[in-house]
Amino acid sequence: MTNISAVTVEPPRGRAGWRSMLPRWSPKLGVGLVLIALITFIGVIGPLLVGDPNTIRDISLTPPSGDFWLGTTWTGQDVVAQLAHATRGSLYIGLMVGVMATFLSALFGIVGAYVGGYVDEGFNLFSNVMLVIPGLPLVIVISAFVPADQRGMWTIAVVLAITGWAASARVLRAQTLSLRNRDYVAAARVSGEKSWRVITVEILPNLLPLLASQFVFSVIYAILSEAGLSFLGLGASNSSTLGTMLYYAQNSFALQRQAWWWFVPPGMIIALFGCGLALINFSIDEIINPKLRDIPRRVKAAVTRKPEPAPRTDDDVVLTVNDLSVVYQVENPVHAVKDVSITLRRGEILGLAGESGCGKTTLAYAINRLHRPPAEVTTGSVTFHDREGGDVDVLALTPGELRAFRWSKLSMVFQGAMNALNPVITVRAQLDDVLTTHRPEMTKAQRKAKCEEVLKLVGVDVRRLSSFPHELSGGMRQRVMIAMALLLDPQVMIMDEPTTALDVVVQRGILREILRLRDEIGFAVLFITHDLPLLLELADRIAVMKDGEVVEYGAAQDMFEQPAHPYTRQLLDSFPSLTGERGSFVRSGEQLTPVDRSGEPTPSGGVR
Amino acid sequence: MRYYARKFGFYLVALWAALTLNFFIPRLLPGNPVDILMAKLSQRGGTVDPSARRAYELLLGTDSSESLFQQYISYLGNMFRGDLGVSVSAFPAPVSEVIAGALPWTLMLVGIATFLSFAFGIVLGTFVGWRRGTWLDGLVPATTVLAAVPYFWLALLLVALLSSAWGWFPLQGGYDILLTPGWNGEFISSAIYYGTLPALTIVISSVGGWLLGMRNMMVSATSEDYVLTAQAKGLRGSRIMIRYAARNAVLPSVAGFAISLGFVVSGAVITEQVFSYPGIGSKLLQAVQNNDYALMQGVFLVITVAVLGANLVVDLLYAVIDPRTRVSG
Repeated sequence: MTNISAVTVEPPRGRAGWRSMLPRWSPKLGVGLVLIALITFIGVIGPLLVGDPNTIRDISLTPPSGDFWLGTTWTGQDVVAQLAHATRGSLYIGLMVGVMATFLSALFGIVGAYVGGYVDEGFNLFSNVMLVIPGLPLVIVISAFVPADQRGMWTIAVVLAITGWAASARVLRAQTLSLRNRDYVAAARVSGEKSWRVITVEILPNLLPLLASQFVFSVIYAILSEAGLSFLGLGASNSSTLGTMLYYAQNSFALQRQAWWWFVPPGMIIALFGCGLALINFSIDEIINPKLRDIPRRVKAAVTRKPEPAPRTDDDVVLTVNDLSVVYQVENPVHAVKDVSITLRRGEILGLAGESGCGKTTLAYAINRLHRPPAEVTTGSVTFHDREGGDVDVLALTPGELRAFRWSKLSMVFQGAMNALNPVITVRAQLDDVLTTHRPEMTKAQRKAKCEEVLKLVGVDVRRLSSFPHELSGGMRQRVMIAMALLLDPQVMIMDEPTTALDVVVQRGILREILRLRDEIGFAVLFITHDLPLLLELADRIAVMKDGEVVEYGAAQDMFEQPAHPYTRQLLDSFPSLTGERGSFVRSGEQLTPVDRSGEPTPSGGVR
Repeated sequence: MRYYARKFGFYLVALWAALTLNFFIPRLLPGNPVDILMAKLSQRGGTVDPSARRAYELLLGTDSSESLFQQYISYLGNMFRGDLGVSVSAFPAPVSEVIAGALPWTLMLVGIATFLSFAFGIVLGTFVGWRRGTWLDGLVPATTVLAAVPYFWLALLLVALLSSAWGWFPLQGGYDILLTPGWNGEFISSAIYYGTLPALTIVISSVGGWLLGMRNMMVSATSEDYVLTAQAKGLRGSRIMIRYAARNAVLPSVAGFAISLGFVVSGAVITEQVFSYPGIGSKLLQAVQNNDYALMQGVFLVITVAVLGANLVVDLLYAVIDPRTRVSG
């Protein structure tokens, strides 16, 4: 029943990604295909090879033997012959229902969602009503009204299709709604293409994996439902399916007479066929939602990093990153961070600039050991110099020590506070659980007071504590994030693009707030952004990253007046500054000292 | 408030659709159920008085001169009064009485089994999704095999094994027939004993679906930013798993729970057939076998209303666990 949750996933492709729609090879897919091929073979070729399934002999219920591989039935019929014909019947029903149900769900799901308005409302209501009306009782009622002699394969197939399409229609509708708003579909609509053309050329190809998966579900549903109906004696008359075979076996008390060879094989074939289809569906699901792909279990590569932490060079330093390298251990390992060494002084704002994919976020996560497999720190050390004395080798902390270290010494503010806050619990609960975890000795009243204190610090109304994240504006969510980062009075705060998604006015307000809090409280900030001109205004020192390496590292003032590396100048050039005045100054500075510009834009080759 | 109004509105429409379906199915399909019923009734020595015939005609359709619309209005009237006609197979009991006797059995068995299956599936799926990349991944293909097995086939095999061969459970029935039904310890424990195997078969065959759905949502939720935030906050792993990942991942499963209730009830019909359980599903089949159309229609309606009601409850519950629905509707 995985197909009933209407989850919309963004497939990572445009309109021409045919190759990405083919399932990736995996053992699961292989086993599934072999099962399906084998059973299809039994159903298609089998009946030609075996004798008449209805021949009655006077050898009742003989066990499997050389003559009859799976023994005989109560009336001496060959079970193998019956099985071949029954498999054909079941496959036939499954195919018919699969085609009809997929067509119905496409009609109501895709067309409705595409046309929109009242048509969509109507179709959606209809699908939902069909979905909540219980299927099998309805099928039973319909089958019971049709006299047995008129109840053929087609009747059963049509009834099953009518009762089985609604869940698929819901899934397809959700996906179509999201596709409908994509740029290339909108472009096709605006340019006046006909609706049927937009649907078939622009939308349908992107829905193919989903349609395939829904088709597979319909086939499984049909074969199982038909078997159930036949078991109840309401199946298609004058037909031979695995369900009717089981019905006769059960009514002749096959199991009570120990004749397992009659009862077990039909069920096994259904189970294996369904299992094969489900395995194929896994592979299709992985196309629709790449997150579901198997993570290969990999032996941990030998880590060559030297365990000793960096010595405290002077009392002013709070964080030392020494020769840190992070590698994504995939088929062709990607060196996302290469031998980066930076130091963070108490109370300073160190800017880390670079375009997307240069490795700055990977670096930030690795400092707090938040990187996930396949990312791995291969060399280097991260040392935290506590103001209470003592150095912490962050990379050597045990899981328990790491948990205690996080947030109390070093907290983080993530990019896009949209998803950084848990959408289903209140702001209060999310602030509170930091305190219950790190400060278990605090009373409830103390925790409440602390939460209110930090909210006031960032200028958010304390009544917002009982709000849910979706009730706050983007800027307010980011302020709540900063308040949360302040809760334990950390010495370092890593801010990863904290203002990127916000409009300029809100962005200004938040930056001013960060500067003020830094002056008042005195924590150090590692501020990550792609916006170098912004850092020139905000940061004390700046490190510029490119393809995993720090290419320029120095005081903001120096970089502002004399950018040494060509890439730095390129970055300065590519952004309009927040205040036109300073931006134009940077640009004119560039003109005053012309250097050999590397010219072509740098390809982004790194991994975030 | 808008959310609740929409939900109530939807279920009213769905109820109306089910009633209408019930009205039109016998009229659109071939055969003449009223005559069959009347013949059956007189066989059993029932008095064929005009009012009984009228009730059947309203329910099942007839060639009488009355317009379809008038029949429809009178039919709806009968339904709202709870007048579902007289059962032929249990003559002279009214349909409503037959259903009332069978309903509690199904509600208890299917209700408890479904809830257990959902709970197991969610808990297992949470762990499997959270510990992705470990041996637990092997559970996923195993559960699909269970989901692809025809339910009655599995149930019959279990009966042959656990009841016939080993004698752990009774073969069939809902309680020890030597006891008189009543609210006493002996009878209740007998009902529990008789219900265990049917419940077990329901759980085994449906737990895989919940597990897989929850596992996939956990995998998606685990890569969300709020889980990363929770890790950066230094929270304990169990807390992140439950309050951050699972709390979000369970939402589609709860929404799916409502939808799947229809499937669950469908399965119950077969369960009751396998175990000769005295619930509403076996009443439905009894009605089918005896051409007792009135009882059949009544059972279908009651099942539908029960599923719709349960859906409504789940939808209201959903609004409680997902604060976003309350505003956006």
